[in-house]
Order: sequence, then C-alpha cells, then structure tokens
Amino acid sequence: MSPTPLLPDDRRSLTLRLSVMQYVVTAAFAALAIGFWIFQIAQHEKFREMAEENHLRRLPLPAPRGVLLDRSGKVLVDNEDSFSIALVREQTRNLDETLRVLAFATKSDEAQLRETVSRRRREPSYRPIVLIENASIPQVIAVGARRWELPGIIVQHVPSRHYPASEMAAHLFGYVSEIADTQLQKPEYAGAEPGTLVGQAGVELAYNKLLMGEDGSKLVVVNSVGREIGAPPDGEQLPKEGKRVQLTIDADVQKAAEDGFEATGFNGAAVVLDPRNGEVLAFTSRPAYDPNAFAGGIDRATWAQLNSDDLHPLQNRALQGRYSPGSTFKMAVGLAGLEEGVITPNFTVHCSGGATFYGRFFKCWERGGHGTIDLRHAIEQSCDVFFYTVGNMLGVDKINKWATLFGLGVRSGIDLPNEVQGLVPSTAWKAQYTKEKKWYAGETISVAIGQGQVSVTPISLAVYAATLGNGGTRVTPHLMKAIDDGHELKPVPEPAPQSQVEVSPEKLQAIRDGMWLVVNGEHGTARRAAIPGKDVCGKTGTAQVISNQGRAAARTSKNLRDHGWFVFFAPRDNPEIAGAVFLEHGIHSVNAASIAKHVLLTYFAKKEGKPLPPAPTRDDMHLDLRDPFARGGVVVEGNN
Amino acid sequence: MFERRLYFHIDWLLLGAVLLLAAIGVSMIYSTTYVTLPDGSGHAGARFWVQMYAVGLGVVAMLICLALDYRFLAEHSLALYVGLVLLLVYVLIGGKNAGGSTRWISLGVFNLQPSEFGRLALALTLGMYFGENRRGAKNYSDLIVAGLFFIVPFVLIAKQPDLGTAVTLVPVAFGIAYLAGLRLRLIAIVAIAALPLAAVAWKVALKDYQKSRIETFIDPEKDPRNKGYQQIQARVTVGSGGLTGKGFRKGTQGQYKFLPVADNDFIFSVLAEEQGFIGVLAAMGLYLFVILRSIEAARLAKDRLGAYLVGGIISGFAFQVIYNITMSAGLAPVKGLTLPLMSYGGSSMIATLAAFGLILNVRMRRFTN
Repeated sequence: MSPTPLLPDDRRSLTLRLSVMQYVVTAAFAALAIGFWIFQIAQHEKFREMAEENHLRRLPLPAPRGVLLDRSGKVLVDNEDSFSIALVREQTRNLDETLRVLAFATKSDEAQLRETVSRRRREPSYRPIVLIENASIPQVIAVGARRWELPGIIVQHVPSRHYPASEMAAHLFGYVSEIADTQLQKPEYAGAEPGTLVGQAGVELAYNKLLMGEDGSKLVVVNSVGREIGAPPDGEQLPKEGKRVQLTIDADVQKAAEDGFEATGFNGAAVVLDPRNGEVLAFTSRPAYDPNAFAGGIDRATWAQLNSDDLHPLQNRALQGRYSPGSTFKMAVGLAGLEEGVITPNFTVHCSGGATFYGRFFKCWERGGHGTIDLRHAIEQSCDVFFYTVGNMLGVDKINKWATLFGLGVRSGIDLPNEVQGLVPSTAWKAQYTKEKKWYAGETISVAIGQGQVSVTPISLAVYAATLGNGGTRVTPHLMKAIDDGHELKPVPEPAPQSQVEVSPEKLQAIRDGMWLVVNGEHGTARRAAIPGKDVCGKTGTAQVISNQGRAAARTSKNLRDHGWFVFFAPRDNPEIAGAVFLEHGIHSVNAASIAKHVLLTYFAKKEGKPLPPAPTRDDMHLDLRDPFARGGVVVEGNN
Repeated sequence: MFERRLYFHIDWLLLGAVLLLAAIGVSMIYSTTYVTLPDGSGHAGARFWVQMYAVGLGVVAMLICLALDYRFLAEHSLALYVGLVLLLVYVLIGGKNAGGSTRWISLGVFNLQPSEFGRLALALTLGMYFGENRRGAKNYSDLIVAGLFFIVPFVLIAKQPDLGTAVTLVPVAFGIAYLAGLRLRLIAIVAIAALPLAAVAWKVALKDYQKSRIETFIDPEKDPRNKGYQQIQARVTVGSGGLTGKGFRKGTQGQYKFLPVADNDFIFSVLAEEQGFIGVLAAMGLYLFVILRSIEAARLAKDRLGAYLVGGIISGFAFQVIYNITMSAGLAPVKGLTLPLMSYGGSSMIATLAAFGLILNVRMRRFTN
C-alpha cells in the first residue's frame, strides 16, 4: 500500500484547518493566563489569607496575672498551674456525643457544658472553648483515657489565680472570672477575647489592667484534618506576666482582724489605716467567699448559693454597707461645738438621765444620769444628754459641716470600685431630697448622737478616726503601695488628702482626751481595749437595727440585734494606726473593741519585733452577750 | 528501517520541550509526596520513583514509536484497536478495582491502565480510515463509521467508570474528522443532537458522583465542606501562590493536604502555588509550544495519514491540557482528568510519550517515500 500524498487542494484546506486549531488553542491559553493572573496577582491577597487561615492556627498563651504582695513583700495572691479541659469544635465529629461523653467522664453538668458551647458558638471553630477550668487530676485522667472517644477535647496547661489565704480579705482582693459580654463592649477591655479572665471585684478589678499582663500566642501549622504538625519559626509570642503589685496591707494585721472576727463569731467589717498617709493596713468584710472558687470557673450551685445567702457574702460591707454610726458620731458634734465657738472644752451639762427638747423627752442611756459632766467625760461615758444639748446649740448644718470635714457622709476615695456614700443630713439635703422639705430642730437631737438619718460606711468611719487622730487631714485611704517596673518595686506616690482643715490643737486635744478616757478612764466604755504604754484612744457606738418600739418585741431575733461599733487610733499623740470595727448584730460595742485590741496588739508587737499574739479564742474576747434591755423600761432614745 | 539521515530530521526542540515538561512534573511529584520523618529528616516518596521509572519506560516506548515507520503502525492499527478493545473488556471483567472504579490490569510490578492508550489506538485507526480514503470525510457514512470506532472504547471506558478519560476520546475523533474535511455544519448538527443525548445521559447514565461534580461546579459555595471543597481549595492554592510562589516544597495547600490528589489531578495547582504566576507562565508556555509545534508537524506531514494522526493525537492532548489547567484553577468541574506529562500516572506517561514518539515520527519522515 502506497502512501496517499496530499494533493494541493487538500493541503490548502488542511493548512487552513490546522491554523484554526492553532488559533483556538492559543486563545484558550491566553484566556487561562488571564485567569491565573486574576487569581495569582489581582486577588492574591485574599487567597493568601485564606491559605493562612487554612493552615495556621493562633492559640492563645494566657499571661499569668500579677502577684499581689503585702507591705513587707509577703505573697498575698499568686498563680497556680492548673489544667483546663477545652473543646476545639473543628476537630469534633459529633459535638453532641462528645459533650455527653465528656460530662459523663468528668462527672460534670452536661447542661452547663452545652450552655458554655452555645454561648460562644459564634467564635471561630478552631479556637478552644474552655469547658472545665481548674480541672481535677481525676478529670484530666478520665479525659486522657477516653481520648479516642473525645476528638476535639484538649487539656490545656494554664496559670490560674490562687488565693492562698482562701477567704481572708476576699472582698479586698476580689476575684477573677471570664470576661462578661457587657465588659467586652467597654473600651477598657479592648482587644480582650471571649474567655479572658478579668478582675471582677476588689483590687483585681480596680487594678485589672496592671495585673492582667498581655496574653501571648503561638502559631501552629495544622493539616487538613486539623492535626498540629508543627510550628512556624518566630510564631511564638510569649505572654507578658501582669505587673507585681505591692499593697499597703500588712498580712499580719489583716490576719489579726480576721482572727478577731473568727473568735467572736460575728460578721461585720473592719478597716485599719495609717492615719499619717491613708495606707490601708487591713480591710475585711465578713462573711466572705472563697475567691479560689471563681478562679476555676465557679459552678452554678456555688454561685446561686452565694447570691441567695441571707448573709450576703458577696456584699462588701466595708465599702457598701451603710449603718448608723451611733455614739461614734459624738466626736464630730463635740468638735463642731468647739470649732464653731458654741462651747469650750470646759463646758458642762447636767445629765439627770434625760432631757426634754421641743416638747419631747430624750433619754440618756444611763438612766441614773451622769450628773454634771464636761466634754472629756461626756465622751468617756458617752453621755447622750451632753450631746443632745451641744447638738441643739449647733443646729444640723454645722454638725454636717464638721462631720463632712472629718470624712463622714462622703466617699473616702479609696482605690476600690463601687464605694457607696453615707449620709449626714443637713437642711439643704432635706430640702432637696425629701418630701417634707423642712428640717425640724427636733430632728437635730437624734442626729447629735449619730441616730436619725445619719448613716456611714465602715471605711468612712475609719477615715473619720484617722482624721481625728492626725488633727484634721482627711487622708485618702489607698491600697497601692508599689508597682514592679520590671527591676524593682517602685513606690507609687500617695494620693493627696481629700481635704484638710485647721483645727486648734487644744480643742482637738479635748476630744482626744475624751477618746483616751473611753479606753483608759475609770468610767470608760471600752476599757478592755487598753494597752499599757500605747495610749489607745477610741469610741464605742451602737447602731440600732429597728426602732425602739419594735425592739423589745424583737429582742430574741438574732438579725434584729444592734450593731456594735468601735473606732480607734493609737497612740494618742502622733497616732500611727487608726480604724473602725463594725460588728454586725454584735449586741454590744465592747465586743467590737475586743477585735480592735487584738489588731492593735498585733500591730505593736510586729512593730517592736516582739512575738505576735496568738489568734484569740472565743474566751479571750470576753464577749458581752447580755440582753441590752434587761434593764427593763422603755428606751425612747439614747445609746452608748 | 531507521536510516541515518532520519536522525537529522528529529524535532529536537519538541522533544526537549516534552521531556522538560515531564521533568517539571516529576519534580512537582517529588515536592508533594516528599516524606518528612518525625526527626526532621526525610526522603523522596514512593510515587516519585514510580514516576521516574514511568518516564524511563515512556522514553523506551517513544523510541519504539519513533523507530517504526508510522505507516507500518497505521497499517496494523486495526489489530491494535481490536487488542485495545479486548484489554478494555478484560478490565471490566478481571480488572483491579481501586477507589470505586475498575481501571487497571495488575501486572505484578505495576498496574497497567489500558484506557490511557485508547487515544493512541483511536488516532491511528481513524487516521488510517480517513487518510487512506480518497473521498475524504465528506458524507454521513464516513461519520457513522468513525462514530462506531469511537463509541466502542468510549463506552467501555465510561463503564469502568472513568468518564474523564473516556471524554478525552471525543477531541481525538473530532480533531481527525475536522482535519479530514468534515463540514462544520455537520459538527454543529452532531453537537445539537448531543444536547438531548446529554440530558438523557444525565438521567440514566451518569453516576451520582459524576452529577454532583457538575452540580458543585455550578455553585461551589453551596457545600464548601464537601463537594465544593476541592474547587475552593484549588482557587486558594493557585491564588495564594502569587507572582513568585511559596517556593519548592513550601506550598501549604498541597503539603498539608488541603488540596486533594495534589500529585495527580491538581499537580498544576501545586506548581502554581509553589512557583507562582511566573512558573505558571513558563509551564503553559511550554505546553503551548508543544501543541503549536505538533500542529506544525501535521502541516509538514507528507501524507494525509500523518497529518490526521498528528492532528488527532494533539487534539486529545490539547483538550486534556486545557481542561486540566482550567480545573486546577478551580474554573471547571473537577473530573478525574490528569495533566499529561506532569500528573502522576505511569500508563499516562508511557502513552503520552509514545504519542509524541508518533508525532516526531511523522515530522521526521516527511521527506521519505
């Protein structure tokens, strides 16, 4: 068979058709080149990001929070290594089943796990969702053993907040927990991701930014099934630990206050300050809670219990409790009388057990009366009639002026969040805030002994004691002493005083003498607080919980009993410690003085390098639990 | 048989370009199948070596197809065609199944995929039929005879099922028919007739996975986790390569298996990712050169048989290259269609190199009688 040569005709047609083929192919290639140009050059950035999202995962490395130290460098709050069990949704096959198995294996509440997942469902699916914080070792082991049944469940090693002293100073430190949705929207939390732990109360909240540090992150390379297969170089950004913060708190004085409450068995609050500069040496509110429970993600039952407890353990009584100051208010009235020129230190009043003002009889707590009594002894013995008289001579506005200058009815300005303001009434206040508008002079009589509308917070009463002690400088209580700048603890400048008033020394001395007599005088109401050589000055006070009329009827009910106060400073001349103890339903104010005494003993022992007094027992407190109405008769007014 | 002067007529440029493309393919396979051990060291994957052997065997096949006069081969094309059909039938009866389809005959050392040789056999047969027919391909009876030659292997391959490979027979048949003078009007009629046929095929013949591939192409975002996944990942792979690429063995999409069958259907995507737009242009330039140069060989052929043979082979080749590259950029439905000369696959490599042996053969013998 011979080949069939191409005839000219054929060749022409073939050449044409081959050319068509060439053009078609060339055009197709050109179109493809344009397509690749669009993807690889024009839209490169978009696809580059998509490729990175595919294979790079940024895992957070949580930063440990800054350690809190006491004034001598003792660790108050630190961090502990803990495990958390987290879920990476993109690696799960059957989320439902995984959660069910996990709840079973770790004996945790399945509904709560589901709720956590559902709350954070809008986050990228590769980001771990912590389901069980602060997991126990058995839980970690249980998860490890069921690794194959629990795809997507990982165990993370994280620093978690640790409060070594458990409930001690819980309200001072506050607690940390996962950032709330409402917080996420606030500018001060910009950049925080859901799940971040932030301070929610106390110092943890007030200094959250300092303490939080900066979370780091780690880039990891994952393959198409989400398994980690390596890490790119320089992909790790180490977390920056939060700043170490030194507080003004003295751990031993703080413990003394807590021990004191413990021994009495009462709740309440205490604030102890350095009257020279406002440094807070101790700060407690009881009952407290265990902040460790929050650090590990508080469980529902505990949270519900804390919230529904009748004793309100979450309330910071020292800052947020408002109570009538009772007789502790009398120094303000006395000082106002002296400074306004209404009385002199030697002014006397005759007390026969009561007096009539504006047609109403006001009783002194001492039914037999104090006889003729001067300012010093009126304070010593807490004579009500004396202060009714002085108060009546002053009028409510002058009382208000001096009480305010000494720190009552105003915020103390402490560096803790959510402080509430007490109230010292005035005519202006009544006109503005009440329906009645008009102030009746008779109302001033009750105010003069710290009753009526007067209310104070324990912190403000501590500032009051400090201001009386230092002679008129209303120092700003504060907790921040120094911040670690990376090399050393750098002292933070003290906040300026809230106000300062010139008080004539001899007038103030009369008040101080009275307070000295309270503790050291023959008829003092708080003689048990005396410490030889320390010249402790103080004042007791009783805050009524219900009206006199109801009292007798309710005498057996525990939570209607009177509150007890004790304010103090020491030594009398150039005091270096001052404070207020509030004993909730403490019946008698002397019981509060017992706590103060233990605090003072501890303070001075530490200062002088002597062994600290041991934690007191209930017997050491010599509690006075007598029924205050055992004397019988109807008490219209008056307290000690 | 092989005269010394023929040696001087070998198209070295075309041969060089073909071998260069094969070399690029081998290096991309090396890149995607590289095995990294936990201690950080690593070695070439098994597929790299398989491909190397395939290139070696392919060069041998190419030399054989070059040495024998193409007319001699064409004269025995019917025997080759029947042999192929028998092999395809055997595949359906006793072939080796993998991944849900039966495409291979196990030869112990390696598996032979007869369907890859279908284009070659069809090109030889149709080239012979039209080339040695003085009337050319002008009437319906020619078309019907050609259609019969085409339909038998097409059905046998599609039944494996391997629609992708079967479809590559279409451009071979059309290419030859077109060059043989088939009126364009006739082609249009066939195309129009094919439309209802396609509709029927959609209902009856297409398997679910084939339907879903086409559906997915129309809307890849519909189900990005499953069917549309490959398409989106193909675009991400290509697009993230940028101008200069991520570097050899540094592609994240291919290396971390976000892109499936990276060493096979999507090898061009890996090239685009690791070598960038520049690499894409270079590879596409080589392919275009190979195709245009081959069409030139058809033009230079001394007889109709040679021209049609080359035209048929290169039509199939061009179709496959264009389709695969389009698919590798996520611009066409994902089909099991490899990129000739570059994708992993021994039979494909051997058949393709043998086919270029024939093209070189036709050009080399343009002056002989």
